[in-house]
Amino acid sequence: MKKPDFKNLDIKKLARDFIHGKPHEERRLGDLYIPGTGLYKHREWRGIKDTMYYFNNIWLYNYGNIVMDLFRYSNGNPKVLLQFLKGTWRYRWMGQTYLTVLHWFDRGLEGLRGEALKASAWHYRALVSASLSQIVGMFMRDANIGGDPELRAKTMAHDETVWGGIFYPYKDQMENIPLQMIPYFVTCHCNNHTVLNYIDSIQSLGLPGDPCPMCQAESGLYVEDDMPDFYPAYITTNEACDGSVATSIITDWLAQKPLFAMPQPMQFDDDTVLENCAKEMEGAWRFTEEKLGVEFHWDELVKNLEAQNELMRFEWEKWDVDANTPYYPVNGVAQALYRIFQSQYGERWIWHQVDAKVRKIMEKCVEERIETFPKTRHRVIAWSCAPLYYSNWCTWAYNCWGLNVVINMDSLMFDMEIRTDSYENTLMDMAKYHEMAPMRRNAVGGLHHIFMLWENMERFNCDMVAMYDQLQCKGMQGVVGLFEDEFRARGINAFWVPHALPDKRTVPRSEIRQIINDYMFTVMGEEPLDPTLLDFDDSDSW
Amino acid sequence: MRDLKHLIYFEDLLQEANNELVRKGKDDGNLCLGYTCYFMPEVLLDLPGCFAVRLRAPKCTSPDMATYYMSGRTCHYGRSLLERALEGGYNFIDAQLATETCTVTCRFQEHLGYMDDVINNATFKTEFTDVPFKKNENSIDHYEKQLKLHVLDFLEREFGVDVSDEAIMKSIEINNEVNDIITEIGNFRKLDNPTITGYEFHVITLVSMVCPKYLIIDKLRETLEELKTREPDDKPNYKIKVLLAGSENDDPDFIKLIEGCGALVVADRFCYGSLEARGHINVEPGDSPLRAVAKHYLLTSQCARFMEQREMRNRKKVIADYAKEYKADGIIVASNKFCEYWSYERMIDSIVLPRDYGFPVCSIEKEYINTASGQLRTRFQAFVESVELKKLQEGV
Amino acid sequence: MRKRRKERKARRRRRVLGRLIGIPALIYGGLFAVFYYDLDGKLLYYFVEPFMKNHFDRMERRDPHSVPYGQIDDEYM
Repeated sequence: MKKPDFKNLDIKKLARDFIHGKPHEERRLGDLYIPGTGLYKHREWRGIKDTMYYFNNIWLYNYGNIVMDLFRYSNGNPKVLLQFLKGTWRYRWMGQTYLTVLHWFDRGLEGLRGEALKASAWHYRALVSASLSQIVGMFMRDANIGGDPELRAKTMAHDETVWGGIFYPYKDQMENIPLQMIPYFVTCHCNNHTVLNYIDSIQSLGLPGDPCPMCQAESGLYVEDDMPDFYPAYITTNEACDGSVATSIITDWLAQKPLFAMPQPMQFDDDTVLENCAKEMEGAWRFTEEKLGVEFHWDELVKNLEAQNELMRFEWEKWDVDANTPYYPVNGVAQALYRIFQSQYGERWIWHQVDAKVRKIMEKCVEERIETFPKTRHRVIAWSCAPLYYSNWCTWAYNCWGLNVVINMDSLMFDMEIRTDSYENTLMDMAKYHEMAPMRRNAVGGLHHIFMLWENMERFNCDMVAMYDQLQCKGMQGVVGLFEDEFRARGINAFWVPHALPDKRTVPRSEIRQIINDYMFTVMGEEPLDPTLLDFDDSDSW
Repeated sequence: MRDLKHLIYFEDLLQEANNELVRKGKDDGNLCLGYTCYFMPEVLLDLPGCFAVRLRAPKCTSPDMATYYMSGRTCHYGRSLLERALEGGYNFIDAQLATETCTVTCRFQEHLGYMDDVINNATFKTEFTDVPFKKNENSIDHYEKQLKLHVLDFLEREFGVDVSDEAIMKSIEINNEVNDIITEIGNFRKLDNPTITGYEFHVITLVSMVCPKYLIIDKLRETLEELKTREPDDKPNYKIKVLLAGSENDDPDFIKLIEGCGALVVADRFCYGSLEARGHINVEPGDSPLRAVAKHYLLTSQCARFMEQREMRNRKKVIADYAKEYKADGIIVASNKFCEYWSYERMIDSIVLPRDYGFPVCSIEKEYINTASGQLRTRFQAFVESVELKKLQEGV
Repeated sequence: MRKRRKERKARRRRRVLGRLIGIPALIYGGLFAVFYYDLDGKLLYYFVEPFMKNHFDRMERRDPHSVPYGQIDDEYM
């Protein structure tokens, strides 16, 4: 770290920096890291107001609310504390991962100030709360740790890529909990150390190393016997790809539970496929009713769909501000994670609470014309599926280079409202909705979907593309050349972000940064805003 | 054993996709319709005035241009097909009847539709059909509708093909004749001392998939007659008999390699194999010919993409049953590198088949065209030795 | 006498008030130090995670090979 020059101390400037925080170019955020660990020597001083906001309204508030959520999601049952402890001791993905949750905030919110800090942090708060609802749900029911059999009998498990809205008609009678969202998906963002165990364990059983590592990790959870036993039956799907289908082969074997497969058509532009999809959904409903002894409640379905539509409408408002103004207060990683979690998991009270907070902040930004990311040099659209172990790369890219990732592909999935005026319309819309799942909306059903990049670039006023290159995604690898051709033909500035979804060993974070650095220096001819962020060692960071 | 009369001719037909009989079929004024997957029923592409060609890329060992487009991390088969297309090797096809049934062949077919100049044929079009993942009534209905919309209506609209029930029935009859011949030829593999090798049989099966049926059927018939009187070698030149299961394989040399190591391939449960693919299509009373086709292709398939619990679990039993029926001593499960479906299916096969059904399993990963055969040979030799040893220990 | 009692009372009040303000302030200040110097992260990184990792690495787990593979439920296929 640069030593302070005591002889030429500028007291006024020091005071200004203390009160308001340093200007972007002087922050030297890279100096804050302890090499290798991703830990901070000390957390960033953002000026009095923002530092105290971070301490009070993010750090203390979220630690406190984690405890509150345990009780909230167990209806105040004190047994939740014991179950939580047992689960933490029993499951690696819990005991080794989720305790580090506040560092997840740190990484995503680095360098943010003012309204951007507030709005983005609210999104994280929602992610944590929704995660806890699932953690509590699993642990209170889990037979492996003495969970409640009565609760278990009223719980349907499903692949994380099955849209939670499928279970709306039974929301008042049962709980649906995705199988892998907490044990796998969120762990990778929060602490990517644990997922490597699951990838290794499925390979130790004879799986080659090249299939999608997400699917590998999902099956590895079962191989490691690290999946809570909280459900009498489960529903699987082909979302999003061949790997998801193939994973079912292993999970079915090791779960040893009745299974209903609810595959979605691949060619979803063709309206004739909707009927097939709808019938499979009805099959899933019959399966749920039979296995859990619940009844289809139309009113419950409508109520939840209407609430979800409200979330969708606000998301459109957000996109409008995001696309057409510099006042959008949500950063790239918060935007992506919130949207993917919210739309996939389905209706929950926390989304509405957070949306109300974010609406206030966003309206303030628009009314007062607050430029939330004032150092934006390029408006970037991130396309294809993101590196889970480095979802906060866009926070780094803004701090280091002024690359503002304003939107990403997965945010644009499920881009529709669902009609609730009749059973037939609702069913058809739900079918259509479910076909627009993450990693699928734009990746299957014809090349024109993946090339919707161009219209979305225009829609969100972007001048640059961050093209994710998931090295083990066969669907995306199968179109890399066409993208190269199109980038050249259209004169688009695009850089590739190679990664292996949850597995940081394949492409380390430092390599991703290096690729972007090289692009910015050599192709764009630009200089970094914060040179300390160009190269630092976070190899063993969470 | 005496050489089969037409074997060299058949082998020649497999040297290139646009083979002598394909050219003849085109010269006769027929439409040539390409496809890659069993789920695109060849019987519907063999309607009067058309013939089906299941695409292959023989001798494609280095798909460099396709690797630019599809990276080096996708299935070699899909890339080889694109390479051959980029080389101009598929200019003879008039349309590609495509399915999104596995990702990489789907991407290959999308390239055909997207890149204007890749198929140098003015009439060329690509049409996709959605194929379900289950075998229930809903899936059959859906599949039937899709075939009507994206195969029959497409062919009628774009090329004026006769897609009437009568035309489909006629195609079913011709296909059934071929299917029955191949099945009968394949049955010689069930003999204690089979009178046909796995290599020969694979060559015969393949030519039936890549040539106009009306031009190849006579030679297939003749081969069947020849086999009825073919005497096996006094002393078998193999040490064990195996079933070959797995993903896409249209390379007879791969089977030759296995047989060169002492394992006679007596059953073929893989894409481009005969089991299931050459089954007789039955038109049940009350079913339209199209409905019968939809049912046949959906219900007979043992593809690893079927997701129903019963189907997933039953697939292993089907392989074991075939192995028993064909008197195999062991099973080789081979998947193409980067094949998602078969990476998982192979893994569980290699656990369940020995444990629950008692069959030794050799599990290998291969390329589309296997140039580096040394490693594979070592694996197969070791497998043959271990099975032989097991047989000796069991006193067989 | 009364004056002294008054002073004692006032002192006690100040002490109670001091404690009421001081203890939470100390806790708050302590927590801020934990926050600012990332002591929560350091504790988790250097002590808790290695301990838990060690625990999970040594945990006995079911052998997947022992899981049967028969048909389970024939109704919903």
